[in-house]
Amino acid sequence: MRKRSALSIQKDVIFAIFVREIVSRFSGYAFGAVWLVLEPLMMMIIFIMIFGARGRGEFGFAEPPVFIMATFLPFRMLWQSTMRKNLGALSEARGLMGFRQVRLFDVFMARALAEAGLFCAVGLLLITGFWWVGFDPWPDNVLEVLAASFILWLFAASFGMLACMASSVAKEVEKVIGIITMPLLFISAVFFPMTAVPESYMTWLSWNPLVHAVEMIREGWFETYVSPMADPGYLIDWTIVCMALAMATYRLNWRRVIAT
Amino acid sequence: MIRLENVSKYFPTRYGPKYIFRNLNLRIPDDRDVAILGQNGAGKSTLLRLIGGIDFPSSGRIVSDRFVSWPLALGTGFHRAMTGRENVRFVCRIHGIRDTADIEEFVKDFSEIGENFELPVGGYSSGMRSKFGFAVSMGFDFDTYLMDEILAVGDAAFRRKCRDALMAKRESSNIILVSHVEENIREHCNAAILLAYGRVEFYESVERALYRYQRL
Repeated sequence: MRKRSALSIQKDVIFAIFVREIVSRFSGYAFGAVWLVLEPLMMMIIFIMIFGARGRGEFGFAEPPVFIMATFLPFRMLWQSTMRKNLGALSEARGLMGFRQVRLFDVFMARALAEAGLFCAVGLLLITGFWWVGFDPWPDNVLEVLAASFILWLFAASFGMLACMASSVAKEVEKVIGIITMPLLFISAVFFPMTAVPESYMTWLSWNPLVHAVEMIREGWFETYVSPMADPGYLIDWTIVCMALAMATYRLNWRRVIAT
Repeated sequence: MIRLENVSKYFPTRYGPKYIFRNLNLRIPDDRDVAILGQNGAGKSTLLRLIGGIDFPSSGRIVSDRFVSWPLALGTGFHRAMTGRENVRFVCRIHGIRDTADIEEFVKDFSEIGENFELPVGGYSSGMRSKFGFAVSMGFDFDTYLMDEILAVGDAAFRRKCRDALMAKRESSNIILVSHVEENIREHCNAAILLAYGRVEFYESVERALYRYQRL
């Protein structure tokens, strides 16, 4: 056995958990790893068909299916999946704690990275598919979309980590988050642009940091769309606060949390 | 040398903290194979987990300059949905070994589980699982092997093989063994730690430790 630095141990462990995460998730299924991409893909296609097939193009700046994909894809894969994966990290990764090299934090990182990778893969596939069918799905400003997605991902990962630490004290946290996930999807401007919302409601809805992320991604994706309220600073503030709280609670509690 | 300095460990319960150890001081020499003895609930497995670094003392510290294996118990850390081979790869990776082919073949060979190696670990019988776990740990060169009741399982032929493998490792490594089976302890160990009444005693002679243990 050779001596490794703490950083290189962490790198090895994150890589190992990342691979394990990818391998184990669908190893029991007939199509195996294909489901890795197929599952979110089917989810996307169903939602895009339900909400995008209205076909009226009432917002003027995009074809309905592309409009839905642009925001539902990051919301579903970066926010919902990443957050839930980190929330469930503790209960599902208990077995890993039998190895001294593995820390709970590595599990968080590996899972969040796996979700980010899936997001990119599924996104590319969907865009290519749409393009092949004859739509114009390419983001107008790729960098802006990627930057907003990155912040959303960081926010989701931190929030999930914080929620995981909280749920180790009170299991109810998981239930509450399960309950608010669905309503959040509908008030986060995923299926409608904020320009369609009356002024008085807009103030209320814009308290939600996810709205800002979604609107920023939409602005980047469609050049002609200008959001009435998207504020990167607000989302970044939330992300920083969430991350600081998550790191602090983790650092103070990780030994207690993993104790069986 | 593995050194425990003023180690206390308690578990919070609804009746307040339940102490397992208070201010434990202990040195485990590098050249002895040590058995940990004690009645149920005396803290044998907890001590092993503390040494293995997967549980932490409530106060005090544990100092060691050795590569210590993970505490080898029945079914530790293996993913039930993943095959034996995939699990071996995982353990290799977290130990920083990128080229896993050699260890994979060693484990497949040593564990004698044949084509079950390519099947999910969840389907293994307990005997197969312990053979597999033991084989995985033998694939690595640790300085100290921690074993929790693992040598008692498996058939006679495999136990002989385990003994030979441990003998071969003996020049470079030692073992710390938790077991209730005296035959195993006599066979593998030449020193013992007795846990009783929240205290710890180190015995140079296994026989004397067993004598004390039987009269607790």
